[in-house]
Amino acid sequence: MRLALALATLLFLAFSAGAQAPPIKIGFASAMSGPAAITGEGVRWGGTLAVEEINAKGGVMGRKLEAYFADNKAQPGEAVSAVRKLADVDQVDVIIGQTHSGACLGAMPVVKEIGIPMVVESCSHPKIRELSGKGGNEWTFRVALDDEIMAYTFARYMAKQGVKTSSVLAMNNDFGRGAATAYEAAFRKAGVKLVSTEFFDPGQPDYRPVLARLKRANPEAILGVILASDGAPFLRQFRELGLTQKVYARGSLASAEFLHQVRDNPRVGDGVVEASYWITGLDPDWDRKWTERHKIPPRIHGSLAAITLKWAVVPALEIALKKHGKADRASIRAALTEVDVKDSPLGPIKFDANHQAWINMILIEMRDGQLRILEKLPTSPAFLN
Amino acid sequence: MYAMVAAGLALMLGVARLINFAHGEFFMLGAYAFWFAYRELGVPYPLAAVLAPAVMVAFGIAYQHGVIRAILPRSWHVQLIATLATSIVLTNLAIIALGTQPKEVPTVLSARILDVGGVRVAWQRLLVLGASVVIFWALHRFVARTRTGRAMRALSQNREACAVVGVDVQRVAMVTFALSAALAAAAAALVSPLFNIFPDMGTALTLKAFAAVVVGGFGYVNGAIAASFLIGLTEALAGSYVSYAYKDAIAFLVMLAVLLWRPQGLFGRRLGI
Repeated sequence: MRLALALATLLFLAFSAGAQAPPIKIGFASAMSGPAAITGEGVRWGGTLAVEEINAKGGVMGRKLEAYFADNKAQPGEAVSAVRKLADVDQVDVIIGQTHSGACLGAMPVVKEIGIPMVVESCSHPKIRELSGKGGNEWTFRVALDDEIMAYTFARYMAKQGVKTSSVLAMNNDFGRGAATAYEAAFRKAGVKLVSTEFFDPGQPDYRPVLARLKRANPEAILGVILASDGAPFLRQFRELGLTQKVYARGSLASAEFLHQVRDNPRVGDGVVEASYWITGLDPDWDRKWTERHKIPPRIHGSLAAITLKWAVVPALEIALKKHGKADRASIRAALTEVDVKDSPLGPIKFDANHQAWINMILIEMRDGQLRILEKLPTSPAFLN
Repeated sequence: MYAMVAAGLALMLGVARLINFAHGEFFMLGAYAFWFAYRELGVPYPLAAVLAPAVMVAFGIAYQHGVIRAILPRSWHVQLIATLATSIVLTNLAIIALGTQPKEVPTVLSARILDVGGVRVAWQRLLVLGASVVIFWALHRFVARTRTGRAMRALSQNREACAVVGVDVQRVAMVTFALSAALAAAAAALVSPLFNIFPDMGTALTLKAFAAVVVGGFGYVNGAIAASFLIGLTEALAGSYVSYAYKDAIAFLVMLAVLLWRPQGLFGRRLGI
């Protein structure tokens, strides 16, 4: 009898403990297929690794995390489907994504309609900040800096280096077009004459025609809004044509990912200066774990997704659990407004009225096949002036 | 690159009366086969550039046996869906099996630059040009002079009559697919040292090659080759002098204009290689 009672008590405790601590579901949305699939693969790797890391330490206040993934194909329409899949099918509590600005802008109305918090890890279109928080969308938060925030500082830096004229070569998508608009205004303010603006479709094999256009425009510098995957053929053909302009970049040109790709001739990127907010080395422990598992250097988008989870979403979950005793969508959204992390690898994470975090901006230079940080600058709304 | 891919597509269309929308993926797989031989196994470039088409010959035969035989007697709707589905499956299998990290395959020639009066060009581009001429000459000789080539031409004109007089239709179709796959792989081995190799690289190429096939005169190989050069030239000129972002749109507009002017294609032939 006693044994039966003890067993029943044990079973009750086990069941009630299980009922009290269901896992918290984290959704990651990125481009898992199509031409931008390299970004989504990184997000899948980064998200999985970060969730494993957190769960290995006992989860968030005893609650385990579960990762779910959805493919936005870097397209606004597909981003809507990705949000619906994560919110309705997987029933996640919070979304981290969407990596690509167009996808972010496409997802924003639907996260608002459903009422699910979305924390943006790397989309840099200035419109996302304008539309979030007091801009009308209370459900979207952004950790990444946008190009308007970075453009003024980067343009001033270029002017300080003696650049009088520059062309912009940007990806033909929302990220590239948003950045091109931001730099047009920033160059004007910094006294750098914008000579020409060119766009290219990601995944282009042949850059010679556009390089011929840039050669004819003859600027002193070229600002490339370009990712590592396109950067290798671009820079190789840039050298092939004998162009001598100084190359500045936004995207992931000056990155370990790029250097890994051009490891036969890493000096092809020498002299490139990039404005960014992430670089390998900000979190050596993370770099080591990533490299051990995937045998290649950490990728920017996967690392940003992991940082967003660990230093923005997890603190919000802790606040929600402490304050409301639950981590549902509304509690997480409310808690995100209270997140105040001082020392993430990206710098401080605290969302302002537009739900924008003002993390550090860094200037990176590639030299002798190596990356080095030229400057690390704390950002603030004053950057926009 | 366009010309070799389009020539393969035109061959398949001419002989099998089928548009293979997975043909860009033949190019992609050929590029990966080349990368594997050259970078992973350390095979010297000339040998790797021959090995990749050889591997793709086997793939072309397997594709003809596994996919094409089943759909050839079916309506064009079935053929369209089946080849499109194959294209999507192959791309995604490449993402899963080979990853999304672009592969680099620089060669000695891709790094060496020829400078003639300020006009700079990598030696690899000259190799592409020279090798293309040789490959097209060999293709022309094969189709015009060999027994199998003549059977391919006959099949492209009258399939039923060929069957009646004892031409082994399935064997000729198999050779056509093998040859088309080899052409795509040869193009990949030649141009990959200048570009990147990634799973999605064939998708846009299929569309452009298809446009070349239509403009060149549906299924006429020499027409497809000529139209490919027209597309490439239009793209280069549009990208250099009008807008790089809209070069593809401009190239397709030119193709549209050509078709309005000559609806039967540049060379105005009925279906036949």
